Amino acid sequence: MTIALEATESRRRRWPTITAWDLCRWALAISVTIVVVFPIWWMINVVFTEPGTPVSINPRLYPTSFAAGWDKVAMILRETGYLHAYYMSMAYALLTIAGVLLLGSMAAFEFALFEFPGKRPLFGLIMLSLMVPTAVTIIPTYLLTADLGWINTMQGLVAPGLASAFGLFLLVEFMKGLPKEMIEAARLDGARHFQIYWHVVLPLTRNAMVTLAILTFMKTWGNFIWPLIVLSNAEKYTVSQVVGLFNAPFSHQTVDVVMTANLLAAIPPLLFFLIFQRKIVEGIAMSGSKG
Amino acid sequence: MAQLDITGVAKTFGAVDVLRDINLNIRSGEFVVFVGPSGCGKSTLLRIISGLEEVTAGELRLDGERLNDVDPARRGTAMVFQSYALYPHMTAAENMGFSLKMAGARKSEIREKVGKAAAILQLERHMDRRPGQLSGGQKQRVAIGRAIVREPKVFLFDEPLSNLDAELRVQMRAELIDLHRRLKTTMIYVTHDQVEAMTLADRMVVLNGGVIQQCGRPLDLYDDPDNRFVAGFIGSPKMNFLSATVREVRPDAIVLDDIGGSSASLVVPFRGFDPSGRTVEIGIRPEHVRLAPSNERLDGDVEVEVTLVEELGDVTYVHASMPTGERVIARSDDARHRAETPSRIRLDPSRFLLFDAAGRRIRQSGAA
Ligand SMILES: Nc1ncnc2c1ncn2[C@@H]1O[C@H](COP(=O)(O)OP(=O)(O)OP(=O)(O)O)[C@@H](O)[C@H]1O
Ligand SMILES: [Mg+2]
Repeated sequence: MTIALEATESRRRRWPTITAWDLCRWALAISVTIVVVFPIWWMINVVFTEPGTPVSINPRLYPTSFAAGWDKVAMILRETGYLHAYYMSMAYALLTIAGVLLLGSMAAFEFALFEFPGKRPLFGLIMLSLMVPTAVTIIPTYLLTADLGWINTMQGLVAPGLASAFGLFLLVEFMKGLPKEMIEAARLDGARHFQIYWHVVLPLTRNAMVTLAILTFMKTWGNFIWPLIVLSNAEKYTVSQVVGLFNAPFSHQTVDVVMTANLLAAIPPLLFFLIFQRKIVEGIAMSGSKG
Repeated sequence: MAQLDITGVAKTFGAVDVLRDINLNIRSGEFVVFVGPSGCGKSTLLRIISGLEEVTAGELRLDGERLNDVDPARRGTAMVFQSYALYPHMTAAENMGFSLKMAGARKSEIREKVGKAAAILQLERHMDRRPGQLSGGQKQRVAIGRAIVREPKVFLFDEPLSNLDAELRVQMRAELIDLHRRLKTTMIYVTHDQVEAMTLADRMVVLNGGVIQQCGRPLDLYDDPDNRFVAGFIGSPKMNFLSATVREVRPDAIVLDDIGGSSASLVVPFRGFDPSGRTVEIGIRPEHVRLAPSNERLDGDVEVEVTLVEELGDVTYVHASMPTGERVIARSDDARHRAETPSRIRLDPSRFLLFDAAGRRIRQSGAA
């Protein structure tokens, strides 16, 4: 009885004590937030301002004209191939996601849950490819794509990104956590190899698949260099390339129009992030902590 | 009918012999329990029967049909795993009907069979819950239901109750016995818990180190073990083992000296003792070791140091140590609040089991 009393007593008396350490952490968190958020805010600020208002000379930290911004958006969508670029980028991202998920999950299924000759060296080799920078592989990949006659085609854009070593790694780690007995139970229940994959393993890997899909989306949407190389025809440009045009050194666009193009490019991933925020954080934690 | 014959089965993992020359005939409808310490190969043997593991040597036959190369799903066996191994993303009903779905059964047939199994296991109210929403006992029932739905000739259970709390375990044990009575199907059950084994088994198979030590009805194994391992493994608390020297061999008895290093000497009824053996090990169960009343002194009484008194209410176990350091447990039914004072224990020589130096049972010969 006395113990319980003391416990409530001490709980009542324990005010949140703010230490110097807490302050430091808050300060750090706030500065990081400012550094990350400010450019986006600045972009919005510049876009939603009457054209000609010198934003940078006479800085103002809030947007002044929604209509002006809307006009710029409408103008860009009307007068450039932006909508088609959206379509290209979306197709690029979605096809890549589909491929990465399908190929990754099937390969991970074998690597994580079954034994086969040469499994270890093979997996090692794939993981090794994670260490090779894109800059090294991009020319050979281009030559190969060119040989196939896939320059300026959707398959040329998508195919090289279909197999993801990172995705395989992520899914293998996840699937290794599935209990072996469950797979055995499925086998005893008469499920064939593919049925085990389809009915048991795939549904249970959903979380990891969602994570991988999101990460793949972020990566393909922001990918600039590969589309630039493989798509030389301006009619097939992706969003990142179109934005690149606006940003080019001799672009005759004013800064606010360029910013509008940037903003339009940033909206899909931002929306994506807001919707899937929790999954993304989980996913990054998952892929990081199990490495 | 489901007669399972296991002949000369051996299993090695790499260089490790896990099972050696297993021979066993399991009759139709029998409830057989494999029991043994951890790592003795019980699960491996069960997995070999289920087809999840292949034999290194030997043969399995079910009703005369060779099983070795039959697909695990077509052997007519169904397994219940210790971890339940339910599919977490399916409801209880989907879990139980999965094998039928894989076999391409019609929806109505699946519903009917699953419903029947659910009724047997009293699971009707939980059929559309996922495993995560079920208690341990309910999960266990779903796992059993999944096996029942397949209408196997042989049920295989691998420590199915070890994840349940003690009370539920007792209840599930009773339910399993009831299930066996109703289905009359052959059941093979693995456990390392000898109480579970004794209560469930028609026939118990004691394994150690990948070898069958003995096989028989639970009480036969309890009363008449073939070797020191079986004697020590079955029974709780364990059988006492005391070293002794043979001083004299008579036609129908032997005289043992030096029991546990004490000065006591006892005449043990025994027919046809091989006089070449000089030392033996006595096995005697705690219920045959009594505390001698303090006002009465017999020749065979042994002075001991009491180290621990366990008073359980119905019985009291007195742990004592012999002069050689060997421990002995005596059972007392009436003592209450005993102090840990030096005492005398009285062994019942007619209940002695004798073992040789290699742990083999020395049996009487020429006895009726
Ligand atoms: N896949 C395997 N590879 C190598 N060794 C194995 C394998 N499976 C089992 N073993 C070994 O075989 C022996 C018997 O294992 P088994 O699982 O049959 O024991 P068990 O009697 O079921 O024990 P427990 O009561 O702990 O479940 C153990 O020593 C184990 O280490
Ligand atoms: Mg086991």
